[in-house]
Amino acid sequence: MNAVLLIKPSQTVMEQVGPNIIHHVSNSDISHPIIYLPTIFGIDFSVTKHVLMLWLVAIIVSVSIILPIRRFLSSGNRVPSGWMNAIEAIVKFIRDSIARPNLGEKWVMTWAPVLLTFFFFILFANGIGMVPLFDVLGLINRFLLGVSYSDSHDMINRMLHGGVTATGNFNVTGALATVTFFSIMVAGIMAHGFIQHWKNLVPHGLAWPVYIILIPIEVMGLFVKPFALTMRLAANMTGGHIALLALLSLMAIFGEMFSSAIAGVGVSLIAVPLAAAIAGLEIIVVLVQAYVFTLLTAVFIGMAIHVHH
Amino acid sequence: MTATTLIPLGMGLIVLGAGLGIGKLAAAAAESIARQPEAEDKITGAVNLPLFLLEGVAILAEVFTFLMLIL
Repeated sequence: MNAVLLIKPSQTVMEQVGPNIIHHVSNSDISHPIIYLPTIFGIDFSVTKHVLMLWLVAIIVSVSIILPIRRFLSSGNRVPSGWMNAIEAIVKFIRDSIARPNLGEKWVMTWAPVLLTFFFFILFANGIGMVPLFDVLGLINRFLLGVSYSDSHDMINRMLHGGVTATGNFNVTGALATVTFFSIMVAGIMAHGFIQHWKNLVPHGLAWPVYIILIPIEVMGLFVKPFALTMRLAANMTGGHIALLALLSLMAIFGEMFSSAIAGVGVSLIAVPLAAAIAGLEIIVVLVQAYVFTLLTAVFIGMAIHVHH
Repeated sequence: MTATTLIPLGMGLIVLGAGLGIGKLAAAAAESIARQPEAEDKITGAVNLPLFLLEGVAILAEVFTFLMLIL
């Protein structure tokens, strides 16, 4: 953690804790990007921390999921072995207990690829947030290679700013939920045709005054579903990291409050095991949130296909 | 007492509501699994979805309160 190095002597610890926590869960500053790219159509394409993490996740998913599956399929061998066994177990779980009950037999194979992509991508993006990758790199950089913290030309120093959980960014989860949003519509249109899909939005055969209330509510529901997905994933990932950092910050706060290092060390005896326990809980949250996003996408697509009014 | 001091209280209320809701779901699920252990998979499936929707509402409220706090 580069927390200690951000401290300005003029501020008290209490004033630094809040901004420090926010710094550790938010994206790095766009004015100090990791890789400089040109501005196209008024959009700065420079690579910040979360974009770098997304690239990293894409590479990891390609190497550890897509390549083994391609190799397995092209080998002609029908019995999986080793790593392929693990992938098959997860794929089978998602197809049989998420896709099949929600989508129905007819549409399982159409939408299972989307759900699997969501699951693996979110799982890896969440999971990489629990790996102190850049903190270790920073430690090696500082103490083994002897690069000073103020050296802003150093690649690793520039990578130290910002959080590593790309799914803790509302823009990333918003993009993921946009895919869900269009998947719902495409699924409904594929199953019922364009006109019938929009007619299915509200139940037919009601008295006309009911529609005045019902149509706005259903149209709102159309947007609320992906919005709730966005918020749930990002807030869960950010919240866990904030809880972890807040617990660890207690050491500094208590140390300052009683102006003795012993108070800080004493609190750390409770705070560090508690933080370790929360980190364990976070690993469960990482798995559950990937599952939840996939499940809810399947449920929403299923609702567009099987309209029961 | 200003509005800012009430915001943490609101966060607490959200946690209270979400906790009560999830507790009710979990209690009902545990009870029905105890009564019919063979229907465990079905009960878990039925409990999961409302659980996540409830969690979503609670998270939304927490995010909005947090935004109010920092903005």
